[in-house]
Amino acid sequence: MSDYIIEMNHITKRFPGIVANDDVSIQIRKGEIYALLGENGAGKSTLMSMLFGMYEPDEGEIIIRGDKVKIQSPNHATKLNIGMVHQHFKLVSNYTIAENIIMGMEPVKKTLGLFPAVDLKKANQDILELSRKFGLEVDPTKVIEQINVSMQQRVEILKMLYREAEILIFDEPTAVLTPQEIEFLLEIIRSLQGDGKTIILITHKLEEIKKIADRCAILCRGKLIDVLDVATTDTKTMANLMVGREVSFTVDKPDPKFGREVLRVEHLTVKNEDKYEVVRDVTFSVREGEIFVVAGVSGNGQIELADAIAGLMKPSNGTITLNGVDITSYSIRRRNLAGISYIPEDRHNVGLVMDFTLSDNLALKSYFEEPFSLKGVVRPEEFTKYGDTLIEKYDIRSSQGNDTIVRSMSGGNQQKAIIAREIELDSPLTIFVQPTRGLDIGAIENIHKQIVTERNKGKAILLISLELDEVMNLADTIGVIYNGAIQKIADARTLTPSEVGEFMMGVGGKHA
Amino acid sequence: MNTIIIDGLSFALPLFIMAIGGIYCERSGITNLAIEGLQGFGAFCGALFAVCIAQYFAGNSPVPFYLAMLFAFLGGMLFSLLHAMLCIRFKANQVISGVVINILAMALTEFLTKQINASIFGAASNKFVLGVSARITVPVLSKIPVLGAVFTNLYPFEIVIALIALIAWYVLYQTRFGLHLRACGDNPHAVDAAGIEVSRVRLVAVMASGALSGLGGICFAYSISANFSSNIYSGYGYLAIAALIFGNWKIMPTLGACLLFGFARSGGYELVKFLEMPSSYQDLVMVLPYVLTLLMLIFFSKKNHAPKALGEIYDKGAR
Amino acid sequence: MKNKNSLLHRLILQTIGHEKRQHYMIPIFTILLSLIFGILVIALLGKNPLQAYYNLLQGSGLAPKASYAGHKGMITDFTSFLNALTPMLFAALAVLIALKAGLFNIGVSGQMLAAGFTATVLIGYSDLPAVIAKPLVVLIGFIIGALAGALVGFLKHRFNINEVVSTIMFNYIFQYVISFLINTFYVDPVSRQSANVKQAGRLTLVDVVVGDYKMDIPLGILVAVAGIAVTAFVLGRTTLGFEIKAVGSSIRAAEYAGIRVGRTRVLAMMLSGGFAGLAGVTYYLGYFASIQPKVLVSTGYDAIAVALLGNSSPIGIIFSSFLITVISKGSTYMSSTSGVQAEIASAITGIILLFSACGAYVKYKVNRWKDMKEEM
Repeated sequence: MSDYIIEMNHITKRFPGIVANDDVSIQIRKGEIYALLGENGAGKSTLMSMLFGMYEPDEGEIIIRGDKVKIQSPNHATKLNIGMVHQHFKLVSNYTIAENIIMGMEPVKKTLGLFPAVDLKKANQDILELSRKFGLEVDPTKVIEQINVSMQQRVEILKMLYREAEILIFDEPTAVLTPQEIEFLLEIIRSLQGDGKTIILITHKLEEIKKIADRCAILCRGKLIDVLDVATTDTKTMANLMVGREVSFTVDKPDPKFGREVLRVEHLTVKNEDKYEVVRDVTFSVREGEIFVVAGVSGNGQIELADAIAGLMKPSNGTITLNGVDITSYSIRRRNLAGISYIPEDRHNVGLVMDFTLSDNLALKSYFEEPFSLKGVVRPEEFTKYGDTLIEKYDIRSSQGNDTIVRSMSGGNQQKAIIAREIELDSPLTIFVQPTRGLDIGAIENIHKQIVTERNKGKAILLISLELDEVMNLADTIGVIYNGAIQKIADARTLTPSEVGEFMMGVGGKHA
Repeated sequence: MNTIIIDGLSFALPLFIMAIGGIYCERSGITNLAIEGLQGFGAFCGALFAVCIAQYFAGNSPVPFYLAMLFAFLGGMLFSLLHAMLCIRFKANQVISGVVINILAMALTEFLTKQINASIFGAASNKFVLGVSARITVPVLSKIPVLGAVFTNLYPFEIVIALIALIAWYVLYQTRFGLHLRACGDNPHAVDAAGIEVSRVRLVAVMASGALSGLGGICFAYSISANFSSNIYSGYGYLAIAALIFGNWKIMPTLGACLLFGFARSGGYELVKFLEMPSSYQDLVMVLPYVLTLLMLIFFSKKNHAPKALGEIYDKGAR
Repeated sequence: MKNKNSLLHRLILQTIGHEKRQHYMIPIFTILLSLIFGILVIALLGKNPLQAYYNLLQGSGLAPKASYAGHKGMITDFTSFLNALTPMLFAALAVLIALKAGLFNIGVSGQMLAAGFTATVLIGYSDLPAVIAKPLVVLIGFIIGALAGALVGFLKHRFNINEVVSTIMFNYIFQYVISFLINTFYVDPVSRQSANVKQAGRLTLVDVVVGDYKMDIPLGILVAVAGIAVTAFVLGRTTLGFEIKAVGSSIRAAEYAGIRVGRTRVLAMMLSGGFAGLAGVTYYLGYFASIQPKVLVSTGYDAIAVALLGNSSPIGIIFSSFLITVISKGSTYMSSTSGVQAEIASAITGIILLFSACGAYVKYKVNRWKDMKEEM
């Protein structure tokens, strides 16, 4: 009998075209906080999905509390007292908190002593008690649509506790939270540990691991690299192990040479579908040869700001000026022609027509112009010619070149295609929104170089980034956005990362 | 006035039961354009059974009628398995699947009706004659002024429908299964994570829809048309869809929509009769529900909320 | 998956596994399956299936019959077949263009009726000479259909009304209103249909004497062929086609690329409705010369089968509408010769449709097998 509550031995899982986990073995003690560290696609989520019964491993064994088990479904995992908070919350938006928590394990009463029915009254009562017990207060009768993300996460945690989970898996729990909310969540996790729960934390954020984890397993490209004692290891070592080589956190960048003003945004306010002001009275400008980075935690209005400049959302107030021309009322097409390139956040649904060929996607913003078409008639040979040039120049790899359907391409190459198309438009202003999200280190470095090259050519760059490293490496000027409003605009050289971090939390400059 | 209520109800209730089936199906996340075909196929099964056993019963016996209802219920359920298979197992486009089911049901029942008439009953006919079901009047209650009409000259099926509708309402809004079903239409991933098999819930929902549609179909066959023929496909299924959209995918408002359609229809007919207009003017009355639906959609489409996951193919692996 | 290398598996992979060939191999596979199904049913009924299928060809003028009435022959059967094919081609084009824009036009039958009725009333009953009347019929057919289609597109764009719902509603509205108008103003008391249109306005030349034969010559077939060419050109070689396909694949990406989604959809529905209108005039003022009140023709629904089966390609629908029309047109002759009920024709069409709805799944599954095999 071992002292491990979970043992996963020699686990291998293959998906078509990829080995997600390759002979991975981990052992977790009861009551510890165990972190799984690795880049996107390193196989962390797959490993935990198997522990939670969403997939079955191709090879290897899972031992829970000394018994060898075959976990066939999430249901089965629940019976083994395993719970999981997924990265994308699994909540029914038009149900109340209570209904969401009890789903699958509803208390039942008999109407008129005869007909079974869900006992919502009892459910509300139970959940109120449960939430008090663990210090996770919620109002069980509130509907999910009406509560914020952090509260929704709380519901997910309560869902596990309601099912009496002893082993709690958190998949990237901090990705959607503000800094204070992160602090609070880490508090909760610690107190759950205090209640004797075993916690597995999937993350790629080193600081969080350093703060609360006891041990940390590092995965890279599906393989287990090492298991470390967090207390005795520094973050630099962890980072190097995570990416599999020495990480250089800096990009070569000559001193900036600013030219005239290209983009000017004044008093811009944008409302979302619910008439809520997501961007509030934002004013800034970007010059030739400048990388202006909008830094902020996810969900603070930066996406909407970019969409409004590119024309995908209508501002309710304020003006946007490009090269001295007011373009506030321009259509998307006219803005493109006036000189805006836009690399959107969502490359699958927005940046690419997934069922079109690569060459069609590369010409997606110029198909209506010469030489691609003449008087409304397209010329396929020009599409091919242009596609060949860009594929060569930007090293876009695919199975069938121009004729590849982009849906079948890898994420990195899809992003290369978008960046190639947008840069080749040769626009004075290029907007990048989280251009490196979900890509591996090599691709990230490459994109960073391209951004700097464009800036050196005298282009104005507006970069929206959530990663503090990226912000500090690339920015000439930093504008920090919080809750839809710009908190601070300053020369990047005058700010330290921790100062930027404070502004991102909306508390910057108060004690200065 | 009484006639308007009596006829309106006998049209609205079968429509309502089909619409409830549609609500079950769509609230579980499966688009259902197949109601038209399902009610036709259900009615076919019921009618066929009734015709087959008719000789064993006296002409005025109500037994064949109730058995026909049972078989229509089962027939609709059986045929709905096709829709379930296409949408759930084969992950086909649900709109296309619905249209396919309708075309197939129409073609198949038309062919089978003729074939069976020719080879079993030795008659070259494209219909099964059923006659109109007997009517009942509830004593005492029918004497209430105005409202009494509700209890006068009832088709027995109206009572059956009212009972089933009550059960359907209870199951959808009060039971565990109902909770799971409505969740499937909003976020199937949440249901899956709660350890409930999404495809099974949806299968049951589609089958319920088929069964209730079949029931609605046989009621029309026993009232409006008095036989089973391809005339059964005159758009009642689509009208039921209109009603449930109108009713915002909720049972009580949908009942309101069905009653509105029913009374608009019977009221229109009475008006045509009252004004002594030629019968061709009835066609204009028939248009009313459809025009109403379009107009209401124009005014209220912003307020209407279809189930969030409606029509989306659920793939367990995808996040 | 133990039988990964079974014979059936290998056979399937070899026939429909090749990605480049899939776009026609899968429909052919579908059709074969359906025809086999038909053979089984006919055999079960105790009739000779091959005989019955041959009758279908004979009835469509694609194979010689044993005997012909005076002035009739295989060629007259064939022109009569083309006469029936014409509306089907147009209707399939209508469904196809809407599908490309991501819209589902279930209202083709209603649009046909609206266009056919308007042309009948305005031109069919007039005394205009043929040279003016015929082009006017085509023009009016297109315009009325296009207006009906554009209205659907507009309702979708402006009020976000699902086109499936609105086209179904319009189907019934057209059906009942036009039935009322016919019964009130234009009915032929004997046939209970609308009075026949005059020959000048009809798009089919009836009983033309050619040599020893008297045949019906459908002029519309020429317009239909032109329509297919135009559609293929618009979709494949114009910026409008590029925009329609982009909107049909991803609304958000199309919007991002600067395409005006609403306008593109309305235009696509307009074209779709226009072709439906042409289907209407070639049906009601070509194949027939009158309109039966209270009836929506099944052509609009069959056209969905044709478009799916033709793999949503303009060239593909030539073949698929040919097939579906052979089945429906030849069924009358089959019924009278082999004694199989004519209604089995539409049942077979339905089965074809059923199988073709699974086409995407078959493709997905086959490609999955292939991937797994390559990995081994």
